[in-house]
Formats: sequence, structure tokens, C-alpha cells
Amino acid sequence: MSALAGISRRNFLSQSGMGLSFAAVSSLLASDCALGDEEAPPQSGRVKRVIWLFMHGGPSHVDLFDPKPDLVSLSGKPIPESFGMFGTRRDVAKNPLLGPVKPFAPRGKCGMMISDLLPETAKFADDLCLIRSMHGDSVNHPQSVYQMNTGNILMGKPSVGSWVSYGLGSENQDLPAFVVMPDPGGGLKGGPPAWGSGFLPAQYQGITMRPGAKPILHLAPPEEFSAERQRNALALINAINGEHLVQRDNDDQLAARIRSYELAYRMQAAAPDLVDLKQETGETLALYGIDEESTRDFGQRCLLARRMVERGVRFVQLYSGDTNGWDAHSDVLANHRQYCRATDKPVAGLLADLKRRGLWNDTLVIWGGEFGRMPMSEGGKGRDHNPWGYSMWLAGGAVKNGFTYGETDPIGLRALHNKVHIRDFHATLLHLLGLSPKEFSYEHNGLSERLIGPSDEARIVKEILA
Amino acid sequence: VKRRWSTFLAAAVMTLCVGAWADDNDAIKELPITEYDRDHWAFKKIERPTLPITLKTIENGIDAFVLQKLHENGLDFAPESERATLLRRLTLDLTGLPPTEEELAAFLSDASPLAYDKQVDRLLASPQYGERAATFWLDLARFADTDGFEHDLVRKNAWQYRDWVISAFNRDLAYDEFAKAQLAGDETENAAERIATMFCLSGPDMPDLNDQHLRRHDRLNELTSTVGSVFLGLQMGCAQCHDHKYDPLSQADFYRMRAIFEPAIPDLQRDKPYNVFEKANNSSEPRFWIRGDHTRPGPSLVAAFPRIADRPDASNGTPPTRTAFANWLASEENPLFARVAANRIWQQHFGKGIFGTPSDAGLVGLAPSHEDLLNWLAVTFREGDWSIKSLRRTIVTSKTYRQTSRRGDQEISRWQERLDVDPENTLYSRYPRRRLEGEAIRDSMLFAAGEINLAQRGPGVMPPLPKELVSTLLRGHWSESKNKADHVRRSIYLFSRRNLRYPIFEAFDRPDANESCPSRNVSITASQALILLNGEFAVEISQKMASKAYDDAELSTSDHALRRGADALFRRILQRLPSRSEQEKLNQFLIDQPKLIAADHPDWVERKVSVAALADISLALLNSSEFLFFE
Repeated sequence: MSALAGISRRNFLSQSGMGLSFAAVSSLLASDCALGDEEAPPQSGRVKRVIWLFMHGGPSHVDLFDPKPDLVSLSGKPIPESFGMFGTRRDVAKNPLLGPVKPFAPRGKCGMMISDLLPETAKFADDLCLIRSMHGDSVNHPQSVYQMNTGNILMGKPSVGSWVSYGLGSENQDLPAFVVMPDPGGGLKGGPPAWGSGFLPAQYQGITMRPGAKPILHLAPPEEFSAERQRNALALINAINGEHLVQRDNDDQLAARIRSYELAYRMQAAAPDLVDLKQETGETLALYGIDEESTRDFGQRCLLARRMVERGVRFVQLYSGDTNGWDAHSDVLANHRQYCRATDKPVAGLLADLKRRGLWNDTLVIWGGEFGRMPMSEGGKGRDHNPWGYSMWLAGGAVKNGFTYGETDPIGLRALHNKVHIRDFHATLLHLLGLSPKEFSYEHNGLSERLIGPSDEARIVKEILA
Repeated sequence: VKRRWSTFLAAAVMTLCVGAWADDNDAIKELPITEYDRDHWAFKKIERPTLPITLKTIENGIDAFVLQKLHENGLDFAPESERATLLRRLTLDLTGLPPTEEELAAFLSDASPLAYDKQVDRLLASPQYGERAATFWLDLARFADTDGFEHDLVRKNAWQYRDWVISAFNRDLAYDEFAKAQLAGDETENAAERIATMFCLSGPDMPDLNDQHLRRHDRLNELTSTVGSVFLGLQMGCAQCHDHKYDPLSQADFYRMRAIFEPAIPDLQRDKPYNVFEKANNSSEPRFWIRGDHTRPGPSLVAAFPRIADRPDASNGTPPTRTAFANWLASEENPLFARVAANRIWQQHFGKGIFGTPSDAGLVGLAPSHEDLLNWLAVTFREGDWSIKSLRRTIVTSKTYRQTSRRGDQEISRWQERLDVDPENTLYSRYPRRRLEGEAIRDSMLFAAGEINLAQRGPGVMPPLPKELVSTLLRGHWSESKNKADHVRRSIYLFSRRNLRYPIFEAFDRPDANESCPSRNVSITASQALILLNGEFAVEISQKMASKAYDDAELSTSDHALRRGADALFRRILQRLPSRSEQEKLNQFLIDQPKLIAADHPDWVERKVSVAALADISLALLNSSEFLFFE
């Protein structure tokens, strides 16, 4: 801290070459890893932290959350002509319709219809805010992954997590604001740009964390380095850099570098502590399914997500699904049985745990993929991508619980009533976090660029807010 | 102009890319360009400004303009930097590598008044100059070796474009020719220049897109936006869905300029790459696209230059070819080309442009701090046959460039006055201290260790990547180069995968190649500290340097081998010996650290312990601000 005393923020910003829209100046300084006055970030939003459970590949809404009686009755028949033309990825438009692969049942007091594929999540029906009228713009994975994560179907725009990291910063000075936990099975379609910072400075991009001994890349020194040896080396670095700084008018960037080593050192302690699941009871581990082979992997990531939000990480995104993931082209039942099995209990465990630990009210949980799936079949048992209408759910104290919003058409092809475009979903998310979707922007190439995208059509879905 | 500025600044708070669009059946409606529109610094014809007359003794025009402003503010130039610092600055700035000990010694002992100029000539003539210059051009060209999107397929000949750019800088290809080759190299006699047109198509592409009309539409819009921002400093991209909110660029201007490129892009075929211009057949007629939507065709239109950058009465009705476009760019009719290019070159040597938004010279871009200087540079550049090396020589030999960045022995009050009057160094009252880019950091580390392989040209190479990162890629997307010598090539020759930046580059703000990047962020983060402290590369390099330093010291005499090893590392990495206070700390460190290491590893022999202690010093120096900045 002492190295930074007396340095004005304006001075720092100009010297560091960062263009900033004033909306976020204060939060940058409060949150940025290495720098600045430690003042509290603005907290006007209902939601303080987000856990986004991203079901990569596209889970089938018509098999999980959006039962369609007409789809049952028309199963095996071609889609009625009245539905008109629509885009598909694999030319499946003329294929016969396929009814849900498992039965649905009303759940909880609210009677929300949820498939038998998700028995544990179903127990939390009264806590979910289900949106059945999501829609986006592309039938392709990478474009839809980008649109869901950045608002734009083109690659390279800042991701929602980086917006929030830029806008609100971290509540914990020793941990990053935006953490991503990819599926260890393989890369995402579209890759790391899905959590990139685009034109925002690099410190806002998602930091990848993994369960186990090496949660962050380059976090720990090589094994032969004892903690004391590294402390000595760091002290030497600090001494050299400190003397250098004093001879250079206490240059802000140089002072910031010294602080960045202090933070790195604190992260080295904080991150391993964060991922140390031995601190949890057997009961908690079981709650997340960590005691079972089939649910261990996703369960660990869900539990880590809770431990992160507990410590003030602002935005956690975890992925279920390797490169193919939920992309059930050939057999929906086999695919979704596997992925539902792996995630259902951990997700329910996370919801239960957030509630009992007092994190429910100001944490928002998001569940969904980059799109849903088509009502007609592909190759008899599979389904193609469907961005035109699908389901996502939210949970937490800031949204209505046991509530269903929006409808698709009678076969689940397109969103029909109370439609929620991806940009509306983003606008609602920002609003919940206390950021104004229309004003939240960043100075880029001389333009003040709105993070949610240029369209004026983004709508805050007020109807779902608690 | 004032009135307009205040309106714009107030409105700039809101997002800009919103506006009205034409109705489906309307003919194109657009506002005419007025004298009022043309009354903006960037759009005015460039006149050679007269040098401020009171400053006749000044040899370099740059200094006349800079000194005039300094005088207006009661300041003068800071003294010239001391020579070791100056050579380090010049060498890193022009080649991206530090000077060798021998080069430094030669310069320090050269008493000739032309000693510095000789260094400038030597560095501009070195092959490493083109590699350095190309780094920033490839940022503008959003260059990568792969397509991006899901499959992120390799563009087999992309490296040839990278090599073409390096070679163009090295042989000092005139900037107008450099631009022309990249816009219309396929239309020239010289077939070898066809590869240069990859500039236009170097953005992300999704060859497996279902809708190949959309693919073509996206690529055309993306290239039009890029060409507009790179060569004209106009944010043309803002006008693809609606008229530009602030600049006099209509949506029709956008699609007219796009029409110049339309004949070069054929009807694309699924899964077929198209990354260099070829003789093309396409079935589409250039037209206006309503709201930029490729499913909503508007009226057809004829190719033309953006009106604001052209003469008011220029239209002769003949649609320009790409070659004609390139010729027009460099003509005196168009004031933007020279201003934008001169500003970019200046930016490379001072860390910021004379106007701070180098790809936006429009109304909401930043105004130039020294408008006359900018115009003088632009005219000098144009009249100097667009020689980039000449313009750089003028810049780096100026007094402005050679000023010191730190107080040193000067009186504190005089230095403090400089900081108080010019806190952000907009007057150039001292040389701005600058952090190295990720590429220069890696290269400097390899260079200091004597490991760097300066081989030029050829397909991108793949040094080892942590397995945690390889696992985030599709299978086979990173196959370590078999030849170990390739692992230590200069950074510009590393394979550039759009879906994964090399970690040290990413940590140090290399742009992601998804859109043209005119100036890099300079962030300072904990991730940077972690990668330089714990990364395999930094640890290995430190180890190697320590091992060599120790053995050399031992060889001459075993007395004080550790201390002399430490001195060698200082010379190697920082090109100097430790200061007195550093020496005190080192002495203590060299007592404590070997003991600690020996206690941690009772089985290690003395040499191994000593080398490990020296490696910690080496690592500390590689993490020093002195190593990571030049000033």
C-alpha cells in the first residue's frame, strides 16, 4: 500500500494507457488485482454474485423443462406446414417429430413440469425461475456459445463475466473476480474466447481454475522451492524494484507492479485454501455427490463455486460437457441420461447449500446451454440444435421462485409468448447486478461502446424479478 | 467546431452504434457532406506547416514543434539520456531486443559526434527491425495462423503473409506500395504480392457456416471495417447497420466502399478456405443491406470512396477498382492516409499517438496534442517517398526522443516543475517510460540467456505449452515442434492460434486477433507476476543462466564464485553491475539462500545449491521492472 500513497487515480489511468468510461472507473480501482485504493465497490444491485452452470452442447428443453402435449400426439409425423420455414444446422426440418424421451411430472407446490431425467433438480422446483421462451440467432455452436457469453455471434467480444468483473470487481482482494471452471473432458466449441475480455483490459478475463493441487496455471513455484526460499526471492525482487521505483518519481505503473507481486503472493495462499475440499464435512461432500464416481467431477466444481462466492468471487462460470457435451445429435436419451446423471445431484446440492448458508438471497444461479434442441428427430433418436426457442432457469432470492415465464409454440420450435432474447437475458442480469444495461460501456477506439451491444432493443425482463 | 464537440462529448456517454436505418423500399437517403462536416482537423487538406521561426537553430523539425509548446508552458527539453539507457531504449524500440554487452561497450567508447546516428543506421538495417515493426502491423491486420470459431483450422499459407510483412519493413517498401500490395497485390504484375492481400481476409472466418451468403457478407463487412480503420482512421464498421452517429459516414458510404472489394470475393463454398484474393466469380450485385442484415437487400449501388475523405467534386461515375482505391488512398486528395500512418509510426516510438485514438480520427476520437507536428510528419512522410525507415530515423534522432526519462543528477526543483506542469507527459517534456510487450519480454529473456534462435521466415513454430492449456483445445491443435531449436525462435515466429494465445503473450496484453488492434492495453496484473515467477519458461531460463554464470566464475577462480556469478547475471540481464545498496542485499542473500536451499535439499551437492541460489537471483532480475521496461 505504502508505495501507492499519494498517487492520484487520474494520473495512474493516464499513465497506464487504459481508456475507461467513467461509469466503471471507481470500480476498476476498487477491484483491480494489482492497483488502487481499496474502496468498496458500488452495491446497488440485488445480486452480488453469479454462478453460471453452462450446459455446453445444448440441452433439450423439450425433454427437460418444456413438455409439449402436441409433440407427444404428433410424434412420428412431419412438422405441420403451418410452422413455416426455419433454419437448422443439419437439414432436419422435414424429419418426423420426436416426443419427449422421458415422462414429465408436476413438481413442488408450484407444479412446474420437469422431466424424470432430473429428479434431484425437480425437488427444487419451488426455488426455480424457469424461462421457457429464450431465443438466439445462430444454429451453430461457436456462434451461439459466443452470443450467450458475449452478446455477439462473432468471436472476440468481451464476455459477460468480464463485464461484471470490470463493472463491480472482486469482493476479495486475493482472488480474481471472474473464474471459469471448464469441463476437464475437453475444450469448448469456440474455445477460451468464450470467457475472454475482448476489448476490455486483460485483467477482466475469466481466470481458469481447476479442482486439485494446481488450481491456477503458474500459481505455485516448482516443487523444489520451499515457501521460505520463494519468500526470500520475492523479498529480493521487492528490494530491487523498490529502489528502482524511488529513483523514478514513484511512477504509478512501477508501484503497481510491486503491488502485483504482493497480490500474487496472497493468491498463492488463498487459491489452494479455496480448493482444499478437505475442509468440508462428509455430509457436504455427499450433498454434492462428491462421494460417487458419476457425480464427483461436476460436484467438485459446484462445491468450488460455492466456496468461491463465499469468498467474494463475483462471477463463477462452470461448464458441463466436453467438446461435444450435451450435443445429442444421435441419441437424446443416452446422451441426456449421462449428462443429467452427472449434473443433477450436484446442482441440487448447490442450491440446497446456498440456501442453508445464507448465500441464497444475493447469489444468482443460472442454468442453461447455448441453445435448446429441435422438436423433430435426427437419425431417429437424436435432435439437432434449436436457437429459436428453448429454456433456461435462474435461482436465488432476486428472482421469483417457483415461477415459469414465457412459452414456446405447441411443439417447442420457437419462442412465442413473452419472448426473451439473449440480449434481454443479459440486460436482466446486469440490472440485477446494479448495472444499467444501456449506460454500462467502455471507451474503445475512441467510441464509448455499450457492453451489452449496440441494439436498443434489449429489455429488462421485470416480470421475473422478485 | 466547438459547439459540435461539446454536443458530441455529451452524447458520447451513450452508446454510439445506434441510429436510424432506411425502410425496406426506400431509395438510399443520406445527408450530404457539408463544409461544416469538412471543418474537422483530420479531414482538412494537409499543408506543410512552417517551422516556428524563433527556433532556427533546431535541426530536426520535430523538435521545433515540441519545443515551441514546451516554451509556451515555461519548460525546456530535458537533458539527453545517459548513453547506456539511450542505447537500450533505441535497440528495444527498433528491434524488440536489448543490446549486447559488446554493442553497449562499442557505443560507450565511440566518441564520434555521429555515434548515435551510426547506431540508428545499424539497427534500422538489422533483420530484427522488420520483425519488430511487423509485430504492430500484424496487430492491425488481426493476424493469426488459424480461422477461429469451433474448428479453428490452420490457414496453411498465413505465415507467408507474416513473412511478407517482415520483409516489406526490412527492405523499406514505400508505405503507399505496402498498402497497395495488401489491398490489390493480385491486380499487379508481381504475382508474389498476391499473398499480401491476406491482409484483407485475415480476420476470423467460419468456413463450415451453413449459410455461405452470410459468411461472405460477414467477411466483406469485416474487411471493409478493417480497411477503413487501418488506412483511413475511420470507424467505418459503425456504419454497416446505420449511418455513423457522429462522423459524416453514411451507411451507403460503407456499402459503396465495400463494393470496391465485392468483385474480389467469390461465392464461398462450405469448408473451403478463402484467405487470399483470387480471380473470383460471384453472382452478387453490390448493394445496400438494410440494418446490415444479409437477408434484407436494399437498393443496388456503385462502388465509391467514402465522401468525407474525397474531394467534394471527385465523383466521375466510374466505379474504382481496388488498385484505383489504393492509388486514391495515397493521393493528396485524401488527407487521412498520411496523417493516420504518421501517427501510428510516432506511436510506436513514444507509446502513444499524437492523437490518442490511432484508428479513429473522427469526431469522437481524441484530437491531436500537436496538430502542426502531425501535419509536418505526414507531409515529410509523403514527400519522403513514403519511406518508413526515413520517418523513423527522423523521429528517433530528434532531441525529443533522446531526452532522459528520469531526474538523475538534475536539481530536484527543476525536475519537479516538469512533472507538475506536464503530469501526463502530453508536452513530451521527458521520454515516456514503457513496459515491454509480451513478445519482447520473451525474446529479451531468451536473448539474455544466450538461447535465442534468430532464424527468419517459415511456418509458425510451437514451443511447449502447459498440458492444462492443451487440454482446453481440440485434439491435435498444439503439437510441440520436434526441433528443439524452434522452441527458442523469436516470438513473431510462434504459431498464432486464434483460439489460444501463448500464455506469456496473453498475460502481457497481446491482442486476440479477432479485430484490428491499433494500440495495446498496458495492464499490470498478478497473473503477470505469477507467470514470470513460476512459469516453466522463466524458471528454466533462470536455471540455465545461473548454471553458466556459476561455471564461468568457478573456472576463473573459485574465490567468491557466487558473488562473481551474481555480477555476471546483473551484466547479462541488466547490462550493469549491482549498485552499492543492491550489493549489500545480495551479500546477505548469498549467505542466507544457499543455507536455506541446502537445508531443504540435504542431498544436493554444493554446485547444485550454489546454482539454485544464483537461479533465484536470475529470476529476481528477470522480474525486475528495470528488465521489463525501457526508458
